[in-house]
Amino acid sequence: MTQDQLAELSRFLYSPTTLLLYLTAAFVYLYALTTTVGRQEERERGRRARRIGGVLAVLGVTAHVAHELARGFAQDRLPLGNMFEVTSLMALVGVVSGLYVLQFVRRRPELNGFVLLGGSLVLGMAMLMYAEPGPLMPILDTWWRPFHVSLLVAAMGIFAAAFVFNGLYLLRDTAERAVAASHEGRSRGSTVGAAHLGDLERTGPSTDGDDDEVERAHAAAYREALRAGIPRVKLAVGVFLGTSLVSWVWLVTDDTVAGGVGRFLAVNLTMVAAALLAAWFTPFLPSTATLDGLAHRTITFAFVLWTVGVIAGAMWAEVSWGRFWGWDPKETGSFLTWVAYAGYLHARATHGVRGRNAAWIGIGAFIVLMGTYLIANYVVVGLHSYAEL
Amino acid sequence: MPTRGYRALVTASSPPPAANPPVRRRRRPGPTGGVGFVVDSVLMAWRWLRRMRTALYMLAALGFLTLVATFVPQEPNVSSTVAEWRSGEAGPGVPVARVLDAVGAFDVYGSGLFVALLLLMYLSLTACLIPRIRAWFRLVRLSRPPVIRRPSEANLTATFATAASPEVVHATADDVLTRRRWRRRRHTGDGRTPAQLAAEKGLVSREGGSLLFHVSFYVLLAAIIVGQLTTFEGQRGVVEGEPGFSDSAVSYWLYQPGRWFDESDHDRWQFELDEFHVDWVRDPLAPGAGQPTEFRSEVTITPPDGEPYAAEIDSNAPLRIGGKRITQLDWGYAPRVVVEVDGEVVHDGFIQPTVTDGGFFRGAVKAPAADPDVGLEVFFYPYAPYDESGRPVPTGAPWDEAPMLLFRQHRGDLQLGATQQTVNELDTTELESEGGAYLRPGQSVTVGDVEVSFPELRRWVGYQVSSRPAIPALLAGAGLLVGGLIPALYASRRRLWVLTERDEGLGSTLVTVTGRAFQRPEAFAEEHAAVTAELADAVEATATDPPPDRPGDHSGAHHRAGDREVLRP
Repeated sequence: MTQDQLAELSRFLYSPTTLLLYLTAAFVYLYALTTTVGRQEERERGRRARRIGGVLAVLGVTAHVAHELARGFAQDRLPLGNMFEVTSLMALVGVVSGLYVLQFVRRRPELNGFVLLGGSLVLGMAMLMYAEPGPLMPILDTWWRPFHVSLLVAAMGIFAAAFVFNGLYLLRDTAERAVAASHEGRSRGSTVGAAHLGDLERTGPSTDGDDDEVERAHAAAYREALRAGIPRVKLAVGVFLGTSLVSWVWLVTDDTVAGGVGRFLAVNLTMVAAALLAAWFTPFLPSTATLDGLAHRTITFAFVLWTVGVIAGAMWAEVSWGRFWGWDPKETGSFLTWVAYAGYLHARATHGVRGRNAAWIGIGAFIVLMGTYLIANYVVVGLHSYAEL
Repeated sequence: MPTRGYRALVTASSPPPAANPPVRRRRRPGPTGGVGFVVDSVLMAWRWLRRMRTALYMLAALGFLTLVATFVPQEPNVSSTVAEWRSGEAGPGVPVARVLDAVGAFDVYGSGLFVALLLLMYLSLTACLIPRIRAWFRLVRLSRPPVIRRPSEANLTATFATAASPEVVHATADDVLTRRRWRRRRHTGDGRTPAQLAAEKGLVSREGGSLLFHVSFYVLLAAIIVGQLTTFEGQRGVVEGEPGFSDSAVSYWLYQPGRWFDESDHDRWQFELDEFHVDWVRDPLAPGAGQPTEFRSEVTITPPDGEPYAAEIDSNAPLRIGGKRITQLDWGYAPRVVVEVDGEVVHDGFIQPTVTDGGFFRGAVKAPAADPDVGLEVFFYPYAPYDESGRPVPTGAPWDEAPMLLFRQHRGDLQLGATQQTVNELDTTELESEGGAYLRPGQSVTVGDVEVSFPELRRWVGYQVSSRPAIPALLAGAGLLVGGLIPALYASRRRLWVLTERDEGLGSTLVTVTGRAFQRPEAFAEEHAAVTAELADAVEATATDPPPDRPGDHSGAHHRAGDREVLRP
């Protein structure tokens, strides 16, 4: 195959193949999540759906890997040279590591859907920065590059997974608190076990014989209460504004006003839709402690990778530019991200800040990561600016 | 204020109950009055610095300053953009720029605010670390695992029975845990606590890693400060085939030695650029069109007492001579321009025009030797081929396949020394133009009574020569940082007890292996199972709980103390 054909193939493998496979797998998994609380036959359907989702996810990852390989061969180098390639590989690392941890380490395969949804979002974002395959700038052509860049990309992917966990934690926590508050208001009693609406509903006359039916009705009522506990409008507006902290970059850097507004709205509305979807799935999420633990573990791991990656970058800069640190925009950004996640880890160790506040710091740290990533590439020009090449 | 409350409790009101003796030493009453106020304030400040929340605030402040530095152009990085912001050509406008300037936002990392924050952070770090290091040393030297009365509900517990005596079980457990490098404590048992072997692990490495991580910041700071003092950086541009420069203080255009760098530290070698290779993807349809693919200098180095030798400098492969490193910073075209007035050469040399956004290069020729002065405003296009009608068409392409030198000739007063102007700028206020022309290499043209010729085109490269003797220390600091970070985040502190209960009637000993991890419980579950299995094997256990056919099953059902099913043989 010629290089042009390979480039064509890699493009096709990326979009629509990988993108559609990830999205479909995500929705199949999310459907499976809703069946975990249903009747026996429904659970059976859920198991089957999960199997289908697994196959789709593996196919998606295979297509994604094939895309990376085809792109690599099309340009005779590792596909880590520009923003599109870095973002695409970030999605791959995030999806693979997220699925692996959930499936085999934590044994929570029902959460796979959220990881895949996050992966699809990052893939979609990479489409906004698509660049044709091409050779590298000479300064990037060294073994330092794969070392430094792949560490940072892996860390970014894992930080993205941690962002998903932090977001889900906040959703679930908000819902549980809302339910607990409403219970407290009605019973004016102890808040112990307040998060269980079941005993509230149980006060009515018992239906004879069909305990199972009652149980299910209570569970459904609890789910409804959880779902109602999340203020939709506030969530949508908050996510829109929060995403704007990052996506304004497209607004100001696109060549045309219409294009900029289009990209800005596309990113923001996708994020809002994803948040509302996640909010609908809140009742099926695992406990807040599990989600919090997942976020903490992933951030811890990614933080180590990020630290080593930044040090490797400094060493490369010393060799290549003759100085190890010069507060170049990208260096500043990576340092800021490091400080933000160090703040998260310190917050976890601080009484009174852990829990919700720590999760918010984690969310803020991811905004900082994405913001500095885009700003340093598009807005502020520095030595690292090879985004559009 | 816990201390004050405590003191009030001890001195003013009732004495503490005898069963609950004061754990802290009683603080001697400090000085009162003005001195007391100062002492109290310092103590309060020190205590505030020691709080974790303070560290969080400072990290946030550091983040904020860095954020400012991301959005506002920084003078050391992009001084031209800063100048544009100040003059109002770019950015939010002159008034905002003036405010930014006043708070030092154009040079955040050199500003007093940043230095003060850094100082405060290091002070806070020190205030945190001193008690922690002391406590850590005490822990390493004195810590003994605590004994327990019974397994706690939160513990991971497994039991088995064996014919061996409690002493043998404890001795074997001691062996097993010694091999696994646990800290151990034998306890023979008394009325309140059963006979047991208490063990603990990971308390040194987790806290130690965290301390190492934080101490590495001092190493980094020291290395950076020493680096600033001993470093040397010099920059110099060289034209291909022209005389280069020698490593000495006077020959650098930009010379930045550290305070401890001495002129005798120069090595006095001679540097010449033979050829500079640069190339691009020239096919406009190829992927990555226009992108550079190569920057490489072929140079000749002559040591002060030795034979000249050839060397190469690549983008990622700087040249090292002794302790000095030579890197390529930038490059450009160097057309040679000869200017003659009335047959007399008033200028003959290479000019180094600077690159512009439009893809062409802009420079100037200044010949004060002529009377009146001659000034040429020069535009250099590397690739300006002829079109069908024979007219040159300037393009933005950077390769020199059809170089063209366009100039506008000026006569009058160059005002050298009178106004501020760079080598590539012409102050045209006192000059009058007599027209211009374009030249291909080898051509010459006469405008007015000035003959301008363009005999040849070469390239120039800007080099940076640097010496950083503190780099190994910095690398060591980075190594400490990573080496401390990993155990700080991944080491887990855990405790384990091996309890025995002898039943003389049955002639068997009931062994309980129970433990708890403060971090990473899953990893501990595996370790606990492995230790239990090893111990059970060594003492030939007769019945175990959990049964040996599912030793790895710790994912769902954790065996708590209390649910003992298979106990008696």
